[in-house]
Amino acid sequence: MKAELSPRMKVFLYGLMCVLLVPFVFPTWWMVTSSVKPISDIFAFPPQLVPQSYDWTTYQKVFELQPFVQQYWNSAYIAALVTLGTMVVSSMAGYAFARIRFPFANTIFMIVLLGLLIPSEVTIVPLFQMFLKAGMVNTHWPLILVPIFGAPSVFATFVMRQFFVTLPGELEEAARVDGLGRFKIFRKIALPLARPALASVAIFTFLHSWNLFLEPIVFLSSADKFTLPQALTQYTDAYGGPMWNIQLAAATLTALPVLIVFIIAQKQFVEGLAHTGLKG
Amino acid sequence: MAEVTLSRVRKSYGAVDIIHGVDLGISDGEFVVLVGPSGCGKSTLLRMIAGLETITGGDIRIGGRVVNDLDPKDRDIAMVFQNYALYPHMTVAVNMGFSLEHRGTGKAEIAERVKWAADILGLTHLLDRYPRQLSGGQRQRVAMGRAIVRDPQVFLFDEPLSNLDAKLRVVMRGEIKSLHQKLKTTTIYVTHDQVEAMTMADKIVVLNGGRVEQIGAPLDLYDRPANQFVAGFIGSPSMNFLTGTITAEGFAAPGIVLPLPEAAHELRDRKAVYGIRPEHFALDDNGVPAEIVLVEPMGSETQVTMKLGETQVTGVFRERVSLSPGAIIRVRPDLASIHLFAADGGERLN
Repeated sequence: MKAELSPRMKVFLYGLMCVLLVPFVFPTWWMVTSSVKPISDIFAFPPQLVPQSYDWTTYQKVFELQPFVQQYWNSAYIAALVTLGTMVVSSMAGYAFARIRFPFANTIFMIVLLGLLIPSEVTIVPLFQMFLKAGMVNTHWPLILVPIFGAPSVFATFVMRQFFVTLPGELEEAARVDGLGRFKIFRKIALPLARPALASVAIFTFLHSWNLFLEPIVFLSSADKFTLPQALTQYTDAYGGPMWNIQLAAATLTALPVLIVFIIAQKQFVEGLAHTGLKG
Repeated sequence: MAEVTLSRVRKSYGAVDIIHGVDLGISDGEFVVLVGPSGCGKSTLLRMIAGLETITGGDIRIGGRVVNDLDPKDRDIAMVFQNYALYPHMTVAVNMGFSLEHRGTGKAEIAERVKWAADILGLTHLLDRYPRQLSGGQRQRVAMGRAIVRDPQVFLFDEPLSNLDAKLRVVMRGEIKSLHQKLKTTTIYVTHDQVEAMTMADKIVVLNGGRVEQIGAPLDLYDRPANQFVAGFIGSPSMNFLTGTITAEGFAAPGIVLPLPEAAHELRDRKAVYGIRPEHFALDDNGVPAEIVLVEPMGSETQVTMKLGETQVTGVFRERVSLSPGAIIRVRPDLASIHLFAADGGERLN
C-alpha cells in the first residue's frame, strides 16, 4: 500500500516539480509569445514574459516569404508515409525476430541493432552518392526510404520485437489449432494486440521524420520541396540574419501538430514505452 | 468422434530423449487422462497429438488417418490450454466463432453454433464481454466453448484447471465430465493432479520420465498398481512404503514385523517393499503398535502420522483419534490390500 504523503511533503514535491517544469515549458512559452511580439520586444530587458503588444502579421509573413503551405504538406505526407512504412517494416521484422525460429536469428538481430550505433552523419555522404546515381536527389524519396530502412526503423523493430516476445505463445498455438497460418496469426492476433507498441512506434517515427534536418538540407535544394525544419532556416533578412519573430511564428506552426499528436496519444506513448521495458 | 492410436511415438531434442516410444490406444468417445509428475512428458505428448510439436519417430493416428505431418488445423482436434489462450481483443462470441470463421463457415451457422455452445456452458449472457471482463471460471468455460463449437473429432485439454482455486476446480471438473458425457467426444486430458485423473477418467495413462508406467481404469490403478511409482502416485494421501524382507513371521521392516497375506509367503526371504494405503489401516487392539507423531482431524476422518517401527507412515481412520504425539495406538493393516514390490526396480510382486 502506498504511504500517504504529509501536506508539507506534498507542498515540497509540487514546488520541486514546478521548478523542474521551467526548463521544459519556458522555451515553448518564449517561442509562442515571441512569435507575436514586435522584434524590438523580443530582446527587451527585463524580458517580457507576456507580450505588451501583439503583432499578428508575423503569421501572415510566414506564408508570404516561403511556400509554407507546400512545405507543410511536404513534411506532413513524408512523415505520414515514413510512419506507415516503418510500422509495416518494424512490426513484421519485430515479429519475425521474436516469434519465428530461424538460424542465427539472435545474431542477425544483434547485427541489425548495430545500425543504431552508426551516426547518420557517417552514412550521409555514401547515401547521397547512392541517391545521386539513382536520380533521386532533390526528390522526397531519400527522406522516405532512409528512415523506413534505416536507424529509426531499427529502433522501431527493437520496440516491436520486445513487445512480441512478451506475447503468450499459447495464443499463437490456439490460433494454429483454430486454422490460422503464420501470416494470419501475425495479422489477426499479434498485430491487434500490439497496438500500444505500434502507437509508440508511430509517435517516435512521426516525430523523428517531422524534425528531420540533416537529410533534407543534403538532399533537397528547391524551396517548394523543402520540409519544415529546413524551411525555418530560410526566414532571414537581406544580410542573412534571422527574422526572429517570423521564424518563431513559423516554428510555432511547425511545433503545433507535434504537440497535438503528443497530447492525444500520450497515454499510448507511455503504455508503449512500458511494454517495451524501456524507460524514458 | 474418433479413435486415437499412438504407435511407438518418440520425441527427442538433439541427443536427449523426452518421449521413449509410447504405445497407446484410445477408443472412440473415451475420456483418457495423461497423468504424471512435472517433466514426465505428458504435455509434450499431448502437444504432439495436437501437432504443436513434431514427432521424432512412430505414428499418430486420429480416426484411422496418420497425422504425423499434418498441421494442427488439419487434424480435426480442438484444444483447451492451461492459460485458456483466449484472444484478448475479441469478445466471447468472436472468440468462440473464430475457428469456424476461418474455415469458411457461414455467419448464420457460426451464430447458431456459438449460441448452442453458449447455452450448454451457461455463457449466453457473457457473449458480448471481453476475456478481461470474465472471472477465471468463466474464462475456462469460454475456452471449452471455443473447443466444442467446432464439433472436432478429439478434445485435448492441457492442465485446464491448474489456474483455478480449489473450490472452482472441483466445480469445473464436474462440468468437464458432464460435458463429455453429453457430447461423447474422444477426450485426452493432461493433469499432474491424480485426484482429477481418478475422478474424471475412463482410462488413466501414468507417465514417468517419458515412459508409460501403467494404463488402466482408475480403480484398477488404485487397486493393483503395476509398480511402486504408480502405487505412490495414485491415491491421496499417497501409499506408505516400508522396506524390508519377507519372512515366515511376516514382513520384517526396521523395528517391526508386519502381517502378510498367506499367498505372500511364497516370496519368503526376498527383499521387498511393503505398500499399504493410509485408509487400509484399522484401529485394532490386536494390531501392531504405532507411535503417534501427528494427529490431523479432518472432520469426517482423522489423518494420523505415526511410526511403525522406525518408518514414519500415514493412516486415515473413520474414527476420531484424540491422542497426543508420543502415545501408542495399535493398528491392523488390511491383508487384502497389501502391495508388495520388488526392492530393486519396484515391480509388483503379488
